[in-house]
Amino acid sequence: MKKILLPLLFIVSAFLILFTSCKKDDLQEPDPAQGLTKLTEGYATGAAAKVEVYVKGNTINTGYTKFYIALYDSVSGQRMDESHIHLTPMMDMGMMQHSAPYENPSSGNAVNHLFPCSVVFIMPSTGGTWTLKIQVHNHLNGKEGSLTIPVTVTDPVKATIKSFTSLHDGGKYFISMIEPSSPKVGINDMEMAIYKKKTMMEFPADSSLSVTLTPEMPTMAHGSPNNVNPVHTGNGHYKGKVNFTMTGLWRLHLDFMSGTAVADSTLYFDTEF
Amino acid sequence: MITGGQMVAGLPAINFFIMKRIVALLFIVTNALWLAAQNIQEDDSTRIVQLGEVVITGKQQPQSQRLVNFFKANQSATLEDIISRLPEMSLIRRGAYGMEPSIRSFSGGQINVMVGGMRIHGACTDKMDPASIYIEPINLENLQVQTTSNGFFNGSSVGGTVNMKMAEPDFLNNGKVTGIISSGYQTAANAFFQSARLNYSSGKWAFRTSGTYRNSKNYRSGGGKEIDFSQYEKVNYSLSAKYQYDRFTSFHADLLGDDGWNIGYPALPMDVGYAAARMASVSINRENPGKALYKWETKVYANRVDHSMDDTKRPSVPMHMDMPGESRTYGMYSEGNYRLKNKQRLAIRADISSTFLKASMTMYQTGQLPMYMLTWPDNRKDQYGLSASWQIPIDSLLSLQLTGRTDLINYRLVSREAKDQVSIVGNNTGRKDLLKNLSVLMTRKMGRNFKTSVSLSYTERMPTAGELYGFYLFNAYDGYDYIGNTVLKPERSLQAEVAGSFQSGMTRIQLNGYYSKMIDYITGEVEPSLSTMTIDAKGVKSYLNISGATVAGFEASVIVSPAVNTEFVSTLRYTNGRDNDKEPLPFIAPFKNISSARYQWQKFFAQMEYEAALPQSRIREKAGERVTAGYFLLHARLGYNSLLFKNRFDIQAGMENIFDREYREHLDWGNIPRPGRNVYLQLKVQF
Repeated sequence: MKKILLPLLFIVSAFLILFTSCKKDDLQEPDPAQGLTKLTEGYATGAAAKVEVYVKGNTINTGYTKFYIALYDSVSGQRMDESHIHLTPMMDMGMMQHSAPYENPSSGNAVNHLFPCSVVFIMPSTGGTWTLKIQVHNHLNGKEGSLTIPVTVTDPVKATIKSFTSLHDGGKYFISMIEPSSPKVGINDMEMAIYKKKTMMEFPADSSLSVTLTPEMPTMAHGSPNNVNPVHTGNGHYKGKVNFTMTGLWRLHLDFMSGTAVADSTLYFDTEF
Repeated sequence: MITGGQMVAGLPAINFFIMKRIVALLFIVTNALWLAAQNIQEDDSTRIVQLGEVVITGKQQPQSQRLVNFFKANQSATLEDIISRLPEMSLIRRGAYGMEPSIRSFSGGQINVMVGGMRIHGACTDKMDPASIYIEPINLENLQVQTTSNGFFNGSSVGGTVNMKMAEPDFLNNGKVTGIISSGYQTAANAFFQSARLNYSSGKWAFRTSGTYRNSKNYRSGGGKEIDFSQYEKVNYSLSAKYQYDRFTSFHADLLGDDGWNIGYPALPMDVGYAAARMASVSINRENPGKALYKWETKVYANRVDHSMDDTKRPSVPMHMDMPGESRTYGMYSEGNYRLKNKQRLAIRADISSTFLKASMTMYQTGQLPMYMLTWPDNRKDQYGLSASWQIPIDSLLSLQLTGRTDLINYRLVSREAKDQVSIVGNNTGRKDLLKNLSVLMTRKMGRNFKTSVSLSYTERMPTAGELYGFYLFNAYDGYDYIGNTVLKPERSLQAEVAGSFQSGMTRIQLNGYYSKMIDYITGEVEPSLSTMTIDAKGVKSYLNISGATVAGFEASVIVSPAVNTEFVSTLRYTNGRDNDKEPLPFIAPFKNISSARYQWQKFFAQMEYEAALPQSRIREKAGERVTAGYFLLHARLGYNSLLFKNRFDIQAGMENIFDREYREHLDWGNIPRPGRNVYLQLKVQF
């Protein structure tokens, strides 16, 4: 009996050790940048900070692009979870330069060690060169510095950014469709952002327009029921629901009103899945 | 691909559910047996009572059985031909084949169409495949039509039940293979059929197999016009085995397959590429007249239907689409008949079934990704039912029958994509419903030859999967897209029926009058807020419960044999239906009379038959109905049989629609005329 008991005990304890050690492995923090692609890295000169820039996917398309920035102390290599970051996107077309709408990280504290921010690229890199200047205000040492990275922007198959010149005030509005990014048959979250061009360098978020959403299948000339018009939720973002009753090519017609005045009724986005 | 994966993944779960249900059923059955056993006392009578007296309204089954047998004598008759001649029944016709049965103008989800007590659900969203197309007359032993007081015994329904009982192997015990081979040809559709049936028995075993092949081209309507897309081709095959365990107990196993292809539907914008059904069942039967539980049957079954529509043969299709559908059903029932004290009878039935349905549509536009959507989002209906019918003789003339049934029905969507899709228009969380049905039937004998009966019943029926979850199902009849409503209430009905019958020798006359008050009647109403999906559709209709409707009518059948060799059979029916706004209900057949006289002279017989229908001008315009003209048709049939080398030969020939009338019935879709003059010839050899 004892002869059996001893090896049994050994096996059991071996399993226990294996099991608990496995558990320890599980407890280790996952890489916050998992699933993201590192676009580039460099040093924010003057702020003593190493900057790593991540994006989703492998290409940067025109439209709303999310960036995730990780900061490290350039001396100790430690993560810096407290810093202010300010973006400046710039398009250099030789004869002229212009910026684009952007969203700085909403706070000085990183979310899961990353600072999420975004740029709405309003044209592809074919007409010039896009750069993104990342200014870092290091809260540890109080220093400030910046890194400028080149960004190659291409047009996606279906545009997610469009603009119109408003009928009611003549202003130029940029509309960016953010969601649905992976559409499905059923109820989809609809999210878009509206920016109004103030100067070549300023594209502030706009919340003055009301939006009517009408999805349509252009090949079938039918729509879908029970959609929810996007309404402003903050920072120029509008959220609603769009319903797709089948797969295929869908056209999302958007009508913009400023009060009772029509701003635009020609704009649409296509999505195909 | 998707389906295959689901099937594999679903198997362990199905096994688990079957187990659970079997346990539940056994519990119900044993309890019922025990309860019944408590009530049984020694019976002073050993008289064998016909099952029909208990399960089926006594007067009905023999009458409809005699009618079925009479019409079955015409060997070219399809099951549809037979059904259309029964006084309670009509057929909704979309093509030359695959007509949908209707009982007293109730159809679809309002009635049960069963094969040997089994539930089977068509896989076509356009109802092109009612269960009746899977049974060839050669396989049919009998056809029961149950209405009002018993219409719900096999399943909650407001309109009744048609149960097609399949033929069993015969114990001839001559150690020989016997059989029948028959072939036929008819001119109107240039149609040909060939069928064969073999029977073999040895010792305690008996086997039966049958096969039928039908090939029908476009038919010619009255006046000579060819009706495009009215062709069809099909094979039907079955195999049955019976094992007689002892004097009272037998085991049965049945397999049935039916494959149809290239089935045209002139009234619809597309045809059927293929329709395949498979049915399997195993049952145990026990009949012991000496016991209180004198008849008992338990059956386990499974069936599947696969269906695919085809628009590739149609000219000018705006966009090619694939529309496959599938249905999978398995279930079990147990039915027992007891003799109680004082000549009372009790029939109890417990049944469970589970049906999975899925249909989809994929449209193709060059240069674009395919457009795919579910037209029947994947759904499952689980049904648990219990019914009892108690017959109580009050005195030697008066008897009372109480029948009740309850069904617990659980409907749910079973895939993520189905739930996502339904969430656009409704509630995707599934539902449970408890349906209740109750009836009282009072029968009184009046002298030797007369019998009258009065029945009152309250019935409920579950909305169908299409009515709950259907997603932009185009209805070619009214030109609207139909969308399901997940919160429909069950349709209910209060019914009264009065019947009188006279029987003397071979003469039998029966008259039935009925009245149904429908509550929460389910119908499609225009939903202006929804935009159409189908190109050229007029709009979208959503299923709604409307406050009420009434259906009333009568039917009569007469079987007279003035002499041994002469038989006269006549049936007539009339129905009137209207909603609470006095608007006529759709698909109400007008007054119709079919009469046949058959004269037998030695080995010859001759039969003349006429069909007459009055015009139907009480139409529901909202449902796209149009006025239908009346018609009068004359058919003639001749037959001869003889023995040749010890084999019996039968030759039949006839001419239908002798006057080559161009006509259509009111329940026919799409203003398509029915076949014109048709000459047929059949040969049957029995060996």
